[in-house]
Amino acid sequence: MPKETTIDLACENICKHFSDFTAVDNISFTIPKGSFFSILGPSGCGKTTLLRMLAGFEQPSSGDLLIKQKSMLDVPPNKRPVNMVFQHLALFPTMNIEENIGYGLRRQSVPKSEIAERVTTVLDRVGLAGSGKKRVEQLSGGQRQRIALARCLVLNPTLLLLDEPLGALDLKLREQMKIELKLLQKEFGTTFVYITHDQSEALVMSDQIAVMNKGRFEQVGTPHQLYYQPETAFVAGFVGDSNRWQGTVESLASSTVLVSTSDGLSFKSTIMGDKAINTGNSVEIFVRPEAINVSRTAASEETDNQLVCQVETILFDGAKSQIIAVEKESGGKITVTLPQTSDFTNLKNADTLYLNWSAEQTLCFIDNPDSIGSV
Amino acid sequence: MSSLRTTSTFKLGMWLLLAPLCLWLILLIILPHLELLAFSFTDPEQGSFTFSFYQEFFLEPLYWRTFVRTAVMSIMATILTLLIAFPVAFYIAKMLKGRSKGIVFAMCLIPFWVSELVRTFGWMILLRESGVISNFLQWSGLSAGPVELLYTDATIMLGLVYTSMLFMVVPLVNTLDSLDDSFIEAGYDLGGSNWNVLREIVIPHATPGIVSGCIIVFMLSLGNYLTPVLLGGKDSLWFTEQIYTQFITRFNWEQGSAFGLLLLLLSSLIVWAGLKISSQSFSKTMG
Repeated sequence: MPKETTIDLACENICKHFSDFTAVDNISFTIPKGSFFSILGPSGCGKTTLLRMLAGFEQPSSGDLLIKQKSMLDVPPNKRPVNMVFQHLALFPTMNIEENIGYGLRRQSVPKSEIAERVTTVLDRVGLAGSGKKRVEQLSGGQRQRIALARCLVLNPTLLLLDEPLGALDLKLREQMKIELKLLQKEFGTTFVYITHDQSEALVMSDQIAVMNKGRFEQVGTPHQLYYQPETAFVAGFVGDSNRWQGTVESLASSTVLVSTSDGLSFKSTIMGDKAINTGNSVEIFVRPEAINVSRTAASEETDNQLVCQVETILFDGAKSQIIAVEKESGGKITVTLPQTSDFTNLKNADTLYLNWSAEQTLCFIDNPDSIGSV
Repeated sequence: MSSLRTTSTFKLGMWLLLAPLCLWLILLIILPHLELLAFSFTDPEQGSFTFSFYQEFFLEPLYWRTFVRTAVMSIMATILTLLIAFPVAFYIAKMLKGRSKGIVFAMCLIPFWVSELVRTFGWMILLRESGVISNFLQWSGLSAGPVELLYTDATIMLGLVYTSMLFMVVPLVNTLDSLDDSFIEAGYDLGGSNWNVLREIVIPHATPGIVSGCIIVFMLSLGNYLTPVLLGGKDSLWFTEQIYTQFITRFNWEQGSAFGLLLLLLSSLIVWAGLKISSQSFSKTMG
């Protein structure tokens, strides 16, 4: 099977129970070799516990964990072909950079000359050649980040685990490190398992993302799939921004439904998820602010959903600016992205806006009391 | 103008705060030592300058041998205390969480609510010929006659280690507490064994605590009087006992002063050597 992708990590029905709650609830997934796999979820969803089980710091209550088809259950952390970049990096402050990176190699009894050589090579590859003699506190946040990566990558692990390592960085640096991490992952070809609560980190870097909530995977897919075809209301709410309404199904037609919201608006929407929907069901609908066409004049042709609104507030944030608009009759609110075209440069409060969008961009999920979480 | 005033009031406040410390240093440390210094170099009969009391220390083997013995036993007691206290401190700082941590730490402190004298008598009750252990051995048939466990070097060592334990555990718990668990986990994650993690991560981090604990314990053992005298008996040959004898029994204050200063000098020398060997600086350890 030359074309078959090899599986680096396979989890089979992994569970982890603590005395009074279940942190990880029956999760199964596989990660192909060389991919960047992210686990995205709100804090407390069990992603850190899952990662710590992969590293070997926690034992699963049940299920199996296979790395390269070998069960890891009885393998202690120091014998697993897995390395971890810790949340606060855990670079040893009592050692200089060279000693930090060489620590793992010394454990494998690699000869001294080879250690020096491999340390120099890896420092060069992460773009920090010549800083081997520096102390940890002499480096900037981004440089430490790269040293933490180098310290793991020098050991050629099968799997590299990353526990929200960008959390402590400021915004600019975080944006830069996202790209850098992705490039380093491609260059080294190591399989990365990255956990984060920041959807943008996951979307930018990952080949595959698992959205995790309350110990379970809600959906596993490419960033594209998660964004455009969320399978559950939780994913629709967690990945990207959305306008969100509670409503009831008024009428059904093949794949679209007419939903009237509690605000008194009614929208044509597309049924998502695999659960059957009937008239009268209470549902949740999601529309992304960036999916809505905004115009200052009434549209000539009919679209699935249209609203005439008044600008209530403009949240200016450069390219990510948004408008909060109010529908005239019902008083229902909707958030739309502020277009950066010349039409809108002098937009002010109480201006009239004509909004329209298609039924495909209006996602409808049957109400599920389990999925309340949102960003 | 106002800033000038605030600096001058600040200075005044600082001096007021420092005053008790300065008084304490001058009255209780510097003055007595100057007095000792003067005593030790003065011939009591003629009132003239003399080296004879220092000569006496080096010429009379009993004195300097007692000193060497005291120093060696104190170093051994320090090492033993460290070896016993380290696992205890590691357990308290890293293995225990929450309430149980506080309780175990408090249990280490409780024996020190009792005065040293009473604690030492406690050991005597246990160890003497008609004591608890001796009686138990006879009752269980392990020994035919009474067993005397007091008045040996091992007993002195036991007493010293017991007395010093707290002063080693506290600084160790403090430094180990400040070691984030993720460093230990990273040590294992990168392939380290228990021993590697201990030697390359835990001990380097804990070195300031180890050194300050060792200095305190060494100084306490060297200057201890009660424990060696009560548990070691007549043959304990502890240097502080010599100083006591000179001052109180022989009324030879000049000789006692010379011994006191020699003890200060030599103990400082040993601590300095210890710091050099472990390549630590005094300010790093205390700061």
